[in-house]
This record gives sequence, structure tokens and C-alpha cells, in this order.
Amino acid sequence: MGDPGILESPETNVSEAYDTPWIVVVHNDPVNLMSYVSMVFQLIFGWSRERAELHMMEVHSKGRSIVWSGAREKGELYVQQLHGHLLLATLERASP
Amino acid sequence: MHFELSRSGDPFFSKMHPLLAGMLQAVAIDPWERYPDGSGRLLPAPGDEEELCRDWHDFVQPGLRRHFDSERVIVAEDITLMKEGKGKTPLWSLEIPHSHCEAWLTTLNAQRLALAAEYIFTEKELSEKKAPDLSSERSIALMQVNFFAFIQECLVQVVMSKGFHSETNQTAENE
Repeated sequence: MGDPGILESPETNVSEAYDTPWIVVVHNDPVNLMSYVSMVFQLIFGWSRERAELHMMEVHSKGRSIVWSGAREKGELYVQQLHGHLLLATLERASP
Repeated sequence: MHFELSRSGDPFFSKMHPLLAGMLQAVAIDPWERYPDGSGRLLPAPGDEEELCRDWHDFVQPGLRRHFDSERVIVAEDITLMKEGKGKTPLWSLEIPHSHCEAWLTTLNAQRLALAAEYIFTEKELSEKKAPDLSSERSIALMQVNFFAFIQECLVQVVMSKGFHSETNQTAENE
């Protein structure tokens, strides 16, 4: 229930839409080296080698791995950084 | 070809056959000019949402393109410092400053991705371990993809063992 003193406007709804959880997904690409993908995960997300390799193997074996979830703006930044290292990454709405 | 760390700890490639040296020099070529079809892979869509893709095209991709170009300039400068040996078949050498490793990794990766997309190499072709084949333009391109992969593997090992140099290094956990 909303605060009775605040009118809910369409702008508020847009803002809420942006606050919906988003996920960053990295997709498999047969050209990118496994060691390189693992290195990029460590570089961008500050992960341990073990965690980076787990996600890299998930990309390799399942075709995709969710590497981050949260607010859209930060997700866009991560996708930009992943694209900057030439990984195939997308920003998607998290499933409810 | 031989790979080791130099006295200063930088990656050092030596005893490089002229054919491989020529391939390596080609890494500095603009992939957008050289591979008009394959270079599309270098700027992928960020997802399915139309608005996001439009904004990405207008505001993000130009910056990414500038980033790739500036990394390529660093690599091109290093390439000019390649040294040619003496003899009937002069072998080449190249030392890459550790601080340039990320620029090299990005540039090598861009070339490999653009080449693979241009020639539409299959996963099977990319993973096959065959003797080098110089019989066609396509087989030479595949050899180039694999040779650049070797250089990349060497540089990844150096970066992982010595740490990242980039100022963009940052940490984040899932939120």
C-alpha cells in the first residue's frame, strides 16, 4: 500500500520498472578462449579464479551463465564492460 | 617460435618464422575495413529490448569502437618495434610491455572474432588440431585465428600470474 500523502504518478511507475531486477547473461562463443573468459570475469567482477572458472564452465557447457543481477543501470555498465572485452553479454529482465 | 619472460618480466616472443611475423603484423589492421562482414561481431546487441538496443547503438557502441581503436593503436606501435634477425630465413622477435597486455588481448580477440565471423568457421574447425595448411585463403585465416589464440594464451598466463594493470579493475558482488 502506498503512502497516503504521496500521489502515485506514471513517472513513479516508470522508475519502478527500472528498479525491477535485471540480469546480465554471458553467452557461449566458440572463438573466445576459456582462459580469456575466466580472466575477464576476474577483472570485471573481482571474482576468485575458482568462481570465475565455474561461470566460464557454465557458459561453455550450458551456453549461458547469469553473472550478475540487480538494478538496470549497473547491469548496463557491466554489459558495456563485457562487450569492451568482446564477450557476448546481454541484459535481461529477471524472471519473476 | 619461443615464448618466455624478458629480464624486465615482459612477454617476449622470439625465433618467430617470417610467415608468423607477417601474420602478427596484420593484427594491427583495422578489422572494420578488413572484415566488413565479420566485424559486426565486435559490437553485439545488448539484448532484445528495442529501446535498449537503440540507445546502445547511439551512445555505447561509438565509445566501444573508440576503445577498440585506441587499443589497436597501442598494439600497432609495439608491432613497429618487432626485430628481424639475420640469416637466410630471418627469425623475428617481439617484446610486449606488461602494461600493454590488455590492449594486445583485446586486439587479438577482436581480430580472431572478426576473422571467424568473416569466414564462418564452425566450432569443429576451430577446435581441430591440424597441421598448418596454406592451400587457401580460408585455411590461412584459420591458421591466423589459431596463431593469435596461442599469443593470447601466453598473455593471459602472464596477466594472471602478474596481476592486472588496467585502471578499470574493480570488484563487485551480485546484488
